[in-house]
Amino acid sequence: MNRHRVLAVAYKEWREIVRDRLFFTLAFVVPALLMLLFGYGLSLDVEDIPFAVVDYDRTAESRDYAYRFIDSRYFDFQGYVQDEHALAHLLSQNTIRAAIIIPEHFGRQLQTGRATSVQTLVDGTFPFRAMTTKGYVTALNAAANQDNIGRLLAQAKGVSLTKARDALQPVKLEVRYLYNQSVKSIWSLAPKLLMVILMISPPFLTALGVVREKESGSIFNIYSATVTRGEFLTGKLAPYVAISSLNVLILWMLTVWLFNVPFKGDFLFFLLASLIYVICTTGIGLLVSVVVQTQVAAMIVTAIVTVIPAVLYSGVLIPIPSLGPTAQGIAHLLPAMYFTNIVVGCFLKGVGWAALWTDVLILAGYAVALFGIGFFMFHKRPNL
Amino acid sequence: MTLADFTIWLRRMAVMTRKEFLQLLRDIVLLAFIVYAFTADVYLAASGVTLQLNHAATVVRDQDHSAASRELLGRFQPPYFRMDGQLASNQQGQQLLDDGHTMLTLTVPPQFEHDMQSGHQTALQMQIDATNSVLGFLASSYAAQIVGSYGLEVSLHQAGLGGGKLDALPIIENRSHVWYNPNQNDAWFMGITELLTVITVFAILLPAAAMVREKERGTVEQLLVSPLSPFQIMFPKVISMTTVILLGSGLSLFAILMPVFDLPTRGSLLLFFSLTGLYVFTTAGLGLFAATLARNLAQVGMLTILILAPMLFLSGAWTPPEAMPTWLRGMMYLSPLHYYIDIAFGILLKGLPLKALWPAISGMLMLGGTVFGFGLYRFRRQFG
Repeated sequence: MNRHRVLAVAYKEWREIVRDRLFFTLAFVVPALLMLLFGYGLSLDVEDIPFAVVDYDRTAESRDYAYRFIDSRYFDFQGYVQDEHALAHLLSQNTIRAAIIIPEHFGRQLQTGRATSVQTLVDGTFPFRAMTTKGYVTALNAAANQDNIGRLLAQAKGVSLTKARDALQPVKLEVRYLYNQSVKSIWSLAPKLLMVILMISPPFLTALGVVREKESGSIFNIYSATVTRGEFLTGKLAPYVAISSLNVLILWMLTVWLFNVPFKGDFLFFLLASLIYVICTTGIGLLVSVVVQTQVAAMIVTAIVTVIPAVLYSGVLIPIPSLGPTAQGIAHLLPAMYFTNIVVGCFLKGVGWAALWTDVLILAGYAVALFGIGFFMFHKRPNL
Repeated sequence: MTLADFTIWLRRMAVMTRKEFLQLLRDIVLLAFIVYAFTADVYLAASGVTLQLNHAATVVRDQDHSAASRELLGRFQPPYFRMDGQLASNQQGQQLLDDGHTMLTLTVPPQFEHDMQSGHQTALQMQIDATNSVLGFLASSYAAQIVGSYGLEVSLHQAGLGGGKLDALPIIENRSHVWYNPNQNDAWFMGITELLTVITVFAILLPAAAMVREKERGTVEQLLVSPLSPFQIMFPKVISMTTVILLGSGLSLFAILMPVFDLPTRGSLLLFFSLTGLYVFTTAGLGLFAATLARNLAQVGMLTILILAPMLFLSGAWTPPEAMPTWLRGMMYLSPLHYYIDIAFGILLKGLPLKALWPAISGMLMLGGTVFGFGLYRFRRQFG
């Protein structure tokens, strides 16, 4: 490989990128903007769920019960409603996401020490939200029961209310949240967003850059030039790797300084691993560009082969051990999962080489394989 | 306009539309990926992902080995929890958590049963890998429910209250009914969301790319010196893309979502496809607008990501809108997708009739009309 030829190709590519001012700006603006948007917008905390109450009982007990929900920060009270019929309308119009229906005789049943029931309606369009809502309802209902039985126990045994309540809770649950003590969703999201964005942006840039020459026909200059395919590919991709590496730094700064996510690991290790990952994802772009003929196809193919795996099979939303066997298999076949381990390890867990060397090694293997396949599939004399 | 003029006008439109279809059909790779996106991609999203706590890998350290500890630990069951075995030491648990091999550890202290029987409060310790904050939170809330109800049973038994007859206690039973998706089937939600995402991606990208390609190759000059009006150049592109996208949506619905995932289509499918057509048509205006800003396909590719990403993420499809900061929720109303989501879920899952959809439809029409009008205006000004 001739160093001068590689540099010449890289320089030409660089000039071409820089001259297209809009494209050059977007190459940096898009990843940063995605980080900002997702970082601020992609909160999965379910709070302020709009809900309504139908109270057929209208006693002190039923009002007390309703107030447990009205006072909670998880729910956003939209008012009392006449009957269930009105609820159906509110639910279908997305005005409320949940409703509580308190039956007649609710208060009397409780006063006479007998069991009673209430109904909760939940909008199940978004299963995740429905499940979280049900969880809140169960917890608030359990607290109500504890208070009621506690009162009964206190009377029966002649002990204080606090003591009676303690007796009802012989086992406490002591929870320790590791790596993210305050369970902030941004802490768990931002490092993984870094992974997602670096999965999407470099292949996009690269695929477009290479196919552009094919579509405009300038690739024939390359075919007829003395430059070898190895030199051409190396030089062609170098600027995109450089841009993406700079993006790694920008994204890292946003994560640490803007979203205040702690970085507990070794920075140099992180940089090296990220560089390998970026080479890997650039390689995906290269492969796409070798296969397709038009830039439109390049955009769409890249979008599809990168976005889905980056979101679904990388551990962003679901940890890998919770996936089904097939999905786990797919996850292990794709590079995204390994870099997720690395970012989470570096940012939140503070582990380094010792725990993550296999992941880095596999990514490096990927990079080599992708470039190898790209190299063999790219021909200077294509069958036209 | 005379009848003859109108016939010519129609014929020109027909010829141009045919040209657009031919151009699209000739790009085999692109076509293959359009089919892939509407079938395999939707299938993967619907089958692979759940945001629910699903088989959370759990290891336990039982230091008591009593009937009570076994009883309590035995209640951590699938589908939420999956017992992955016993731990010999706390370090081993820490190691498993660090390596990401397990998500939870449960530790029962020695003397657990003894403490409970002698009326001392005891504790179950739980360590959660909170690198995924949502699942961490869910795991702790399910555990709290399990431990709470276990404790209540034990203490009621000890106090001689109830004696198995919970009816004789003032207990409120909360019955939850989940509407529209009673089993909280994630496949329905993820499948529809992915379909809407794919539709949106193509609705913006395809017309934008088709337009810029003419610009890049210079064929737009030929079109402009022809007797075609800007409208006649632009409109056929939108028609052909809308047709392709509608065919794709049909494929997705009839070949994947309905037969494979038993998605109920409770409302009128005719209404669904009409409104989808309307959505695609108006959203295409955004793509055309991007096309007037860009000079080449690479620029358009980056610009569409810039338009698409906020649209998709602000729509409330991926995250519950309730969880967003207020200013973002305000911006959400500016995304046509936001209205289209209400329409699509409303028709498919809720079975809403046309008259219940008017607020969403008018929102979509107003935004879409503005966007389309603006796209046409920019195009006219640039080429008119």
